[in-house]
Amino acid sequence: MGPLKLQPGAAPHTAHPTTESAAASAEAPELVRLLTHEDVDRARDRWQVARARSEGTRPNPFKGLRVLWLLVGPGILVFLGENDAPSMLSYAATGARFGIGFFLPFVVLTFLMGFVVQEMTVRLGAVTHRGHAELIFDRFGRFWGLFAMADLVLGNFLTLVTEFIGVRAGLGFFGIRPIVAVGGALLGVIGAITTGRYWTWERITLCLAICNTVFIPAALLATPDWHAVGHALGTWTPLPTGSRYEILLLILADIGATVTPWMLFFQQSAVVDKGMQPRDIKAGRFDTFLGAILATVCAIAAILATAPLFHHGIDASKFEAAQFAEALQPWIGHAGAALFALGIFEAGIVAAVAISTSSAYAFGEVLQTGHSLNRPFRDAWPFYTILLGSAAAAAALVLIPRFPLEFVVLTVNVIAVLAMPPALAFLLLLVNDREVMGEHVNGLWANVAGIGVTVLLIIAGIGFGVATVFPKLLGG
Amino acid sequence: MREETKSFAAGSAASERSFASVPVENRPDLEDPRVVLSLLEADQVVAAKKQSRFGLRDFSPAVRVMLWGLRIYVILMLVIVLLSVLRALQPPH
Repeated sequence: MGPLKLQPGAAPHTAHPTTESAAASAEAPELVRLLTHEDVDRARDRWQVARARSEGTRPNPFKGLRVLWLLVGPGILVFLGENDAPSMLSYAATGARFGIGFFLPFVVLTFLMGFVVQEMTVRLGAVTHRGHAELIFDRFGRFWGLFAMADLVLGNFLTLVTEFIGVRAGLGFFGIRPIVAVGGALLGVIGAITTGRYWTWERITLCLAICNTVFIPAALLATPDWHAVGHALGTWTPLPTGSRYEILLLILADIGATVTPWMLFFQQSAVVDKGMQPRDIKAGRFDTFLGAILATVCAIAAILATAPLFHHGIDASKFEAAQFAEALQPWIGHAGAALFALGIFEAGIVAAVAISTSSAYAFGEVLQTGHSLNRPFRDAWPFYTILLGSAAAAAALVLIPRFPLEFVVLTVNVIAVLAMPPALAFLLLLVNDREVMGEHVNGLWANVAGIGVTVLLIIAGIGFGVATVFPKLLGG
Repeated sequence: MREETKSFAAGSAASERSFASVPVENRPDLEDPRVVLSLLEADQVVAAKKQSRFGLRDFSPAVRVMLWGLRIYVILMLVIVLLSVLRALQPPH
């Protein structure tokens, strides 16, 4: 492939030229050969945004909404995607074990942490137009890049398995056989990517992700004590009591339900695939904030929905998804229990789509092969093969008789928390790299928040390690 | 192919200009590569991206120590996770 000749000096900063000059240059015949289907689709998306921004000369109250509608997506998807099956089960276990109290504001705090780090990926993607894995390999080299990929691959695959466990358990409540449930979910993943268009894939997945809100009516059916909810959110009380090891494990699981390495890789790659540019950062930030708010509300709803189990002294320590739904029936009715089971199924399938896409993006970036949902299968078959292969392998594992599903569910969120500090270190180094970010480098407060989140995760991880090796230290 | 080391210091200004030549009111003719290119930033074009990469950055000793420390932390913690799961999966006596 010949070099793309961009007219030098078209922009004052020649190190970051625009294609505007290339379009006007005499290189058109060469460019025809170089442009891909992906470029054309992305240009179409950019035109929609440009048109929405320039609509009419008179003030139009809907203009901003139209621009936002076009630019939201990655942030909502990443947060509702992270409200996945193991995460919703962690929240359910939290509500059932400790009721309304300390964990409500704690969950709000974890989403705030999530917003702080995810906002950085928006800036990285919009400014560099490169995915997270690609940037890590470029700036830190193959050695460190492979470590980052190893963490991602292990975490993503284990998480994918738990998503299919969620699908199986959620639909199990309705008497659907595991092979049908898991096979149907796999078909859903395939269906989402057959569009060959990022925009269509994003909208389909967003529609599915919004269904995470089914936990809200389930919570309302549990008739929560709103005074207690307000008190808990304001005072962080009552504090959890009982086994300190169990409390620590739930703290770790709830953090792992909100900040995980796949989210960094996914959102940055999705921002790139969507074609976002530096001028879209504000909208991207709003998208991320909206996603964090929606996910917080759904997570709190899951805690409130299962709080009746705590109030009635029902031991939910060994519950799986379907058992939660069955146990909740006497308190929130069959409709509420069905909504809960449906929510676990939905959480599983949306996350299966998002996480398998995250793995495929990362592999595509590292292998330098086509890695965009705007590409047809024949142009990016390694990308789609990894996407479908990882989902199919995870789905198959869930169907193996006597496969230690409990092992995977127990470890997945904890592994996510433990793998997060190195991922955050790479993120902070990248987002503070002026050669990469230019004027969009982190400010002081973003660094304080980012470093604060990293330190908190390390402390939580060390606490877990100490409690595991010396269980008597925490009083069992 | 020689790799270029680039700085991306001009993000916002460049993106504002990239729309200047696009007649946004009418549906653009995306068969015309110049129209496609006028809608994208230079580094958004797949072919251009392949030919320009960020170079390796130099690590200070402090950053190197931090990265190694975090790597050792993850490996140790994974061993501990394995230990705790094995413990949890043991049938109660």
